[in-house]
This record gives sequence, structure tokens and C-alpha cells, in this order.
Amino acid sequence: MNASPEAVKGSHRSGGATLFALSARSVTKRFPGVLANDDVDFDLAAGEVHTLLGENGAGKSTLASVLCGLYRPDEGAVLRNGTQVRLSSPRHGLQHGIAMVHQHFRLVDRFSVAENVVLGDKRLSFFIDQDSINDRVSRIAEEFGLPIDPLAVVGELSAGQRQRVEIIKALYQGAEILLLDEPTALLAPPEVEKLFETVRTMAKAGKSVVFVSHKLGEVVDISDRITVMRDGKVTGSVGRGEADTRKLAELMVGREIDLSPRKAKAPAGGTMLKLHNVSLHRDGVAVVDNVSLEVRAGEIVGVAGVSGNGQRDLAELVAGLQSPTGGVITVDGREMNGAGTREMRANGLAYVPEDRLGTGLSPSLSIIDNMVLTRPRGLLVDRKAAGAEAERYITELEIKTPSPHTATRKLSGGNSQKVLLAREIFAQSDTTKVLVVCSPTRGLDVGAVETVHKVLDEARTKGKAVLLISEDLDEVLTLADKILVLYRGAVVHSADSNALDIEKVGLAMAGIS
Amino acid sequence: MIVGGYRIELEPRLKSPRWLVYVVPVVSLLFAFVVAGIFLLGTGHNPFTTYGKLIDKGYTSYYGITDTLGLATPLICTGLAAAFAFRMNLFNIGEEGQMYLGMIGAAWAGIVLADNLPGVAAVPVVMLSGAAFGALWVLVPAVLRARLGPSETVSSLLLNYVALNLVNFLIFGSRTLWRDPSPFPDGQLVADSARLDRFGTTNVYPTLLIAAILAVFLWLFMRFSNYGYETSVFADSPNTARYAGMSASRLTVSVLLSSGALAGLAGSMYVVGPAGKVDPGLLQVGLGYAGIVVAALARYNFVAVILTAVLFAGLRVGGAALQISSDPVPIAIATVIQGAVLLFALGGEMFRKNRLRVRRIAGSPVRGAA
Repeated sequence: MNASPEAVKGSHRSGGATLFALSARSVTKRFPGVLANDDVDFDLAAGEVHTLLGENGAGKSTLASVLCGLYRPDEGAVLRNGTQVRLSSPRHGLQHGIAMVHQHFRLVDRFSVAENVVLGDKRLSFFIDQDSINDRVSRIAEEFGLPIDPLAVVGELSAGQRQRVEIIKALYQGAEILLLDEPTALLAPPEVEKLFETVRTMAKAGKSVVFVSHKLGEVVDISDRITVMRDGKVTGSVGRGEADTRKLAELMVGREIDLSPRKAKAPAGGTMLKLHNVSLHRDGVAVVDNVSLEVRAGEIVGVAGVSGNGQRDLAELVAGLQSPTGGVITVDGREMNGAGTREMRANGLAYVPEDRLGTGLSPSLSIIDNMVLTRPRGLLVDRKAAGAEAERYITELEIKTPSPHTATRKLSGGNSQKVLLAREIFAQSDTTKVLVVCSPTRGLDVGAVETVHKVLDEARTKGKAVLLISEDLDEVLTLADKILVLYRGAVVHSADSNALDIEKVGLAMAGIS
Repeated sequence: MIVGGYRIELEPRLKSPRWLVYVVPVVSLLFAFVVAGIFLLGTGHNPFTTYGKLIDKGYTSYYGITDTLGLATPLICTGLAAAFAFRMNLFNIGEEGQMYLGMIGAAWAGIVLADNLPGVAAVPVVMLSGAAFGALWVLVPAVLRARLGPSETVSSLLLNYVALNLVNFLIFGSRTLWRDPSPFPDGQLVADSARLDRFGTTNVYPTLLIAAILAVFLWLFMRFSNYGYETSVFADSPNTARYAGMSASRLTVSVLLSSGALAGLAGSMYVVGPAGKVDPGLLQVGLGYAGIVVAALARYNFVAVILTAVLFAGLRVGGAALQISSDPVPIAIATVIQGAVLLFALGGEMFRKNRLRVRRIAGSPVRGAA
């Protein structure tokens, strides 16, 4: 270790005499064409839960990576207990008690929980004493409220359980500081609650937790302090009790944001989309299991559920990309069984898939070329009309792009989503009656989320029947007039938005009824 | 890579400047000649006089130009064939065999059908027959790929050897209608009406114009047609193509068949042009494989294929002429140059998309970094 003592620069917090467990001083980190961190200061006290809040690309994950030793800062310093440390790798970071749990887990699927936990531990002798390891894993699990079977094979665990393994692994390695990168992204509400309990327990035990998140709603409760980043800079830092979501949103986006619920203002019309006992069996498993639902003109029906519970298959069935193995799908009074996606579209259905860049858009093709993707085309492609259309929506939806000839993969997530929505919702607004929209704001900035919600609300006002399938429960609660919960391919709960028991919805998402 | 206290990195370019598109190939070409020059020096030849002769024999002398354009004619077609499939991320490397089949198919039509056809129809029918045979030769790899998924790269390549042996069988191993009845094994000539006249005393046939027009037509067609649009969506993102309701198997099969037809056309151009028969001499030239190189050098741009085909044909013609000059240079040198051109052209691509950066490693001493 080549750490050399250096004076601690003044902190931006009052009472600068505190010795912080971990600090960043004037950290700057550049990537080609991007200034990811621009002169960033950050202080983490011992036993503190500190959230790094910001939109995508704000630089929060970069800062976390600098703090754990994955990236080296171009300028500035990382201080551990007031002493500068030059972390050369995450392993080096661990020697200083700093560990990061990444959004994408780094576990060996075929190993057991205990084997994963001790993987890479150099203290172990050649012959491994399984019992003592299992014992230690169980002890850590118990101490911090992370129930898990040390002998379970990781490949068979749920996302929430794998995350526990990662946390146990960090604690086993002696982490005093845990950096959790978007830890709630894959969790059902009860699992999130469980994670928060663990985080509180860790804080009580004197460990510090950095919580990297872009979800406003969830961080207010758990955090002792929230530091907000935007465009690589820190825009504000507020302590517990000073935070309110409206103010935080403003710090994140740089302007006022309206994410309040939007509901139907007029009674719904006739049924436009109807599923009756629709099933899809794959390899003997019902991935969509006897689903019945109705969407009427001028309403949004929301399908909530944790990722991987059949949402994608359900959407593809409705969109005509897969054929149901049982049941009837009716669009605008016509039975559409066996119809392909082109026939579905011809009958007034538009589909916004969850994977916008790899499915909804052709990433290397221009915005103009993407505008004609789901249109009937003649022998020649009419790029003149498509070009005019592209120009119009670039202006109307404020799509930030150098030109309509720009490849869609060069756009930000929010802007590429606007291109997709423009094509699917606006451009054919006379003929479209049913909209199927999947996780439309996944990974989007708060500002873009606001636009997408506005667009969907407008579509409803114009009398479209909208089926909103989303893993983001907040989004479903914000927009939907009727809510269904999908669990293992089946609808396990349904309710009107004005008679909703949120606890029941959360439990249903976790498969507890 | 870390050297001393420095880190040498390739960094993706955010924007590649327009001029790089032209400069990189030229510089790559220069590097290729420098490398081949080292080989020349090693074998006791003056690189400058050798290159002078190569350029003269390949590109600037009368016979050089006409021989080069003559050889470039089928090469344009095999180049288009490779480029057409590559554009949809399909790797048809069976142009060689498809070209042989084109030759067989064209000769069949020229021997059997041409006499019964009105004069003007003979040549088009012969050429279309060659194209159809070339397309048929890739039908099995295409359907396999579309329906079951095995790589068309391997299956189309393997069929090259089958086609090679088929030509040998027709000319040397059997007495079919393709073989001339005389005792000396050679192909049977097609009807006179099925052949085109060369331009004057040159080795250039009107098929050169057909090949060039085809290249321009394909460029326009793939740029503006719905078919071109669908193939570019499919090449870019198969999931997106599926989402938009495009049929992956229909596109895969049709693109591979078109590619095979273009390669077959190259073979038929031999029949209506210089050879007039199934010519086993074509087996030695490797124009099908060369077409893949030509397409790669052209970055799969159909119009650029014309240029790279002429460039490549000139290297062949010039290289062959060097062999029989007063100071004979082994033909292998021409092959070394061709190989070097391809290697540097593809390597140069890397510098078009990335830039090289050399940085002092922060905080480390200049020498002996930890």
C-alpha cells in the first residue's frame, strides 16, 4: 500500500471537524467525449446511509466505481478515514474495507452460496473446511437479516436472494463500506423492504452504505443523507428530514417536474382489446396462464409484476408476435387468433416493446428510417414523407438529436423512446385504437419519464385503449385506471385504481396472496 | 498495453472525420507496398523498378489495361456476390463453387438451347441460366441456415470442393455433353450465337458494362427499395426485423440466392466471353475467393467493388507479367502484395474507428512502474 498522509481539505458540510470514513476530493473522471465526474466532493460518515441520486449519465455510478477502486480518478483524491488512498483495483479497495455490489451480479451460477462467498479468499488453505465456511456464512446472514441457505446453488436463486449473496460476500470479506449500485432494480416491493432492513442493521453496526439510485421515491426513507448529481457535478446534498421529492427532482433535472398521478378524466368507452383465457405454453410450462382482461377506449389498464413473470410473452401475444396455445384475443371486436404482427397493426394495434433500442428501433438506422419501420411500404421506401414526419416530432417532442439522419443508437434512452413513441402513438393516431406499451420509462431520466407519462395520458384522453405492462409499480399506480398483477404468467390480483390496497398489490407481486 | 510508464490505448473515435474514409485506404495500400518491398529486397529485386514494371504491366500499358479489365469483369460479379451477402451479415464464401456452377449452367444453355433461340435471346438466356445454376448451388446452405440455423459459411465453403470435383468430372472423368468429343479433354464449345464479340483487339467483352451497370443498379436498389430497407434492418437487428413482422427466413434465403446468382453470373461471363465452354483453366484462377477480398476492400459498397476489382485484377495481371520479364520475379510476390493489401486495409479500418493514445500513467514514475 502506498498511501501517504495528506491534509484533509475542508468539507462542504457544516462542522468540518468530523473525520469521514470515506471521502472524494475534487474527483474528476473523463471518458472519451464525456466528463463523467467534474470536480466532485463526497463525504460518507461511519454508520451512515448515504444515497447518490441522479439521472442516467449523471456520474453517480462512475463516482461509486472510483470510490471502490474500479476506476482511478484523472484528478482529485479518495480519502479513507482522512488519509489519501490510491486504489489500484477493487481488490485493493477491499483491503481498505470498501466493497461494491454491482447492478449485474458477479456470481458463479453453478457454485453454492457458501462457495461463492469464499471465492477469491486468499486466507483459505488448500483443503477447504466446508462446515466452518457454512457456519460463518450462516452467522453473517443471521446477524444482518439476510436469510439464505449456504448450500443452495446460486443458479436457482431469485434476483433478491442473489443480491443477498453478494452482500454476504462483501461482509465476509470484511467490508466496512458497502456501495450498492441500483440495488432495487430487480426486486419486488417486499424484497425491497427486506433489503432496507438489512441496510439499517448494517448502519447500526457501524458500517456505512452508499446507495446509488435514480428512484426518487424509495431513497427518502432509507437515507441519512442524499447527495444529488447532475451532468457529472454535485448539485446538492441534503440531510434526513430536509429532503422532499419535489425538491430532489428539481436538483436532479434542473427544472420543476410533475410526476403526480394522472387518471382518466372521462368515463371509458367500448371494449377495444379483450383477452379471454389466453395461455402460452412453452416446453410444457405455462408462461402465460389463462389470462383474461379487457381494455376499453379511453382507459389505461396497468399490468404490474416483477420482471420475468410473463410480461414479455403476454405483450408479444397481444402484438401478434407469438400465437397463443389457448384462448381468444379480440381487437376492436375482431377475433385475431393466429394473426401475425402486420395484421394486428392493420387492425389498429400499436406496440411499444420494452427493449426499445434492440427491438422497437433499428439501432444503426437513422431516425427517418426508423419512422417507416412499422408502416406499410411500397416497392420503394418513401423517405421524403418519413423525413418530414421525423422533423415534426423532433420539434414537438423535443427530441435532442443533431439531425433526423442520426442513428438512433446515438440518442439517449429518453430520446430514442420518444422516437419510438412518436412512431407508434402519434404518427398513426387516426387508425390506432389499441396501444400495448411495455416498461416505457425503464432506465429513463426523470424528465423523460414526465414526457412519456404525458404522452400516454394524452393517448388515453384521445380515446385509445392502453395496455401498460410495467415492472415499475409506481408507474402503474401513477397512470393506470385499472391494475392487474401478473405472477408466473397468471393474473393473481386485480383492482380499480380508486379502490386499491397497495399492500395487497405488493404481496401479489411477490406471489403471496 | 503498458510500456515503461506509459499506457498505450485504442480509444473509440466519437466522430470519424470524412477525409479518413479516403486517407486510410491509401495509407494502407502504401504500407502494403512497403511490406512487399521488404520481400522483394530479400529476394534480390529492386522494389522500385519491380513496382514500376508491375504498374506498367498491370495498369498503364495497352495490354495491361485490357487484360486487367477483362479479368476484372467476372471479379466484379463475385465481389458483388460476396458484398450482397455480407451486407446482411451472411457469409457466403462459396462464390468459387457457385461460379463453376454458373459456368456449367451457361455452357448447358449455350450447347442445348442457344441453337433453338432467336439470336438476340441466346446470350441473355445463357447468362440467366448461369445465374440460376449459381443460385441453386447455394440453395441448400441457404435453406439450412434459414430453417435450422447451421452456419452458411461452412456449408457454402464445403460445396466449393464439390463443385471443383464436378467440373473435373465433367471434363476429365466422363463423356457428358459438356465435354468436347475429341480425345483431348476439354469443354465443348457453345453455339456461336451464345457468344459476345470482344472490343477490337482487346480482351475486354461487353460483359464488363453489364457488370458495372449491375453494380450501380444494386447500389441504387438496395438504397431505395423496400427490399434493401428490410435487409438493412435485419442485418442491424434481427429482433427489430421480427418485431416489424419481417420474415427472417425469406430474407435469408433470398439474399443468399441472389448472392449465388451473382457468382453464377461471373461463371457465365466466361462462357459468353473468352472461354466459350466449361474451361477447367478457371479452376486455377480463384476468382470466387478473390471476390471476397474485393468485397472486403470495398467495404461492401457495390460501386466501390468496381474499383477494387480493377485494382486487384491489375495486381494479378501485372504479377503474372513480372514472372516472364527479363528479371523474373516469382508470382508469389504478387500474392504477397495482395495479402498485404487486404491485411492493411482491414487493419486500417481499426484506425478509422479508433485513435491511438499514449498517456503517462498518473502517479507512476517514468520508468519501472509498479
